[in-house]
Amino acid sequence: MSGGLGLEQRYRRVLRLLPGYYRDRWEEDMVAAFLDSWLTGDPSDDDAILEFCKPTWGEVASVVALAARLYLGGAATPRRYFAWGQAVRNAVLAVVLVQAVLVLHVLVLLAWSRRLFGLPALPARLMVSSPTGVWPTVFYLAHVAWIVIFVMLVLGHYRTARVLAVLAIVPSMVALLQAQLNGIMSAPFGPWAFWVLFNLVPVLAMAAFHSDAPPPARLPWLLALPAGYLLVYVPLLAAQATGNAAWLPDFSGLCCLLVAFACLVRVPRAWSRRAAGSGVWSLTLILLAAVAGVYRIITLSNYLRDPHLFKVCLAELAILVAAAALVAPDAARAQAATPAPPPHPRTMAA
Amino acid sequence: MTGQAFFVLTALAGGPRHGYGIVGEVEELSRGRVKLKIGSLYGVLDRLATEGLIEADREEAHDGRLRRYYRLTRDGRGALAEEAEVHAAAARAVRARLGLTGPAAAGAGG
Repeated sequence: MSGGLGLEQRYRRVLRLLPGYYRDRWEEDMVAAFLDSWLTGDPSDDDAILEFCKPTWGEVASVVALAARLYLGGAATPRRYFAWGQAVRNAVLAVVLVQAVLVLHVLVLLAWSRRLFGLPALPARLMVSSPTGVWPTVFYLAHVAWIVIFVMLVLGHYRTARVLAVLAIVPSMVALLQAQLNGIMSAPFGPWAFWVLFNLVPVLAMAAFHSDAPPPARLPWLLALPAGYLLVYVPLLAAQATGNAAWLPDFSGLCCLLVAFACLVRVPRAWSRRAAGSGVWSLTLILLAAVAGVYRIITLSNYLRDPHLFKVCLAELAILVAAAALVAPDAARAQAATPAPPPHPRTMAA
Repeated sequence: MTGQAFFVLTALAGGPRHGYGIVGEVEELSRGRVKLKIGSLYGVLDRLATEGLIEADREEAHDGRLRRYYRLTRDGRGALAEEAEVHAAAARAVRARLGLTGPAAAGAGG
């Protein structure tokens, strides 16, 4: 005797990963089909199979993939899952946009360093050197790929974007591991936190871009790339070029302030009862606030020896939390409404 | 239409089938290239049912469990025929470009 769960119970336990509304409709059918795929018709063999066998990793993976598709749903799923799906898709696009803008910034500095397009000489403190050698070049190209990944996502080439994103985050991970093992990590947690929050998490969350997901609004997102650079990095570059960099926030502080600003811009619509489709963008901003907030908290350790900058970091965090609180009720509203799920074939049966 | 959805609809074009019956039929139709896991199958069935391309046909008891059979709807049949025409046109174009059409090609092949 195995003394544990049987095959059917084990599979039902895996199916608990699926949303309740979906299990209500399909669980019994799935269990029947799953057992059909195992049973041989020979009673003695079947008894052993039912008692000792376990669902294969492939079967478990197919249920996990289905669960991700349903929780981060397309238009045919109940509203709360659709809202989560849209919010995650928007948040992924926003994080990838940040990566793309960072790369654009480096490319502009590189072009400026080489005085391309007749640009005047770049101040020495901003000079960027071109990569030399195989490894720096790979690292460099991996970063440049974020622009391509962003454009691929916006244009709906999800599979290409996912593959490129996986390839893009590997060199950073290898570089971090090397630095960690050689004891030359610039800060204890910050670089790993950046890799996890701005590389790994978005790549995993790209599971929300599936065939049921509605396509992103192409033009606004494509325009967001140059607009993001012009509105955020050009003023920062101007401050750096004129020697006024001391008062600029660090990257995590900048993320906190930008998300807080976006929350404040969102407030009038979030508080308006007439705003159609309300909630999804507020939920997106809450997700982005979570990413920026966690990153700010982790990078606080960089300023433990500087009480003034530590207080500045705490102020950035407080601003972020206060701004996010203003849109939180609207974000909660996005999940509250759960209209009836789509019709099930059982109800249509002859 | 995804490849999996196309094969599931094609499997049901031969008559109503239950979940595991569809898995077997799809594997046979695709000559073993498409092996649907149960999670993937019910993702496809849910989508096709939502789009009105399939519907439940009947339930039958088997070894103490109910097997639910599915069938194509009229819309499903139409969508499958349309998709088949797209595939056929693509296949014709490929054959033409490879010079596999006409009596000469047939003679060379045989």
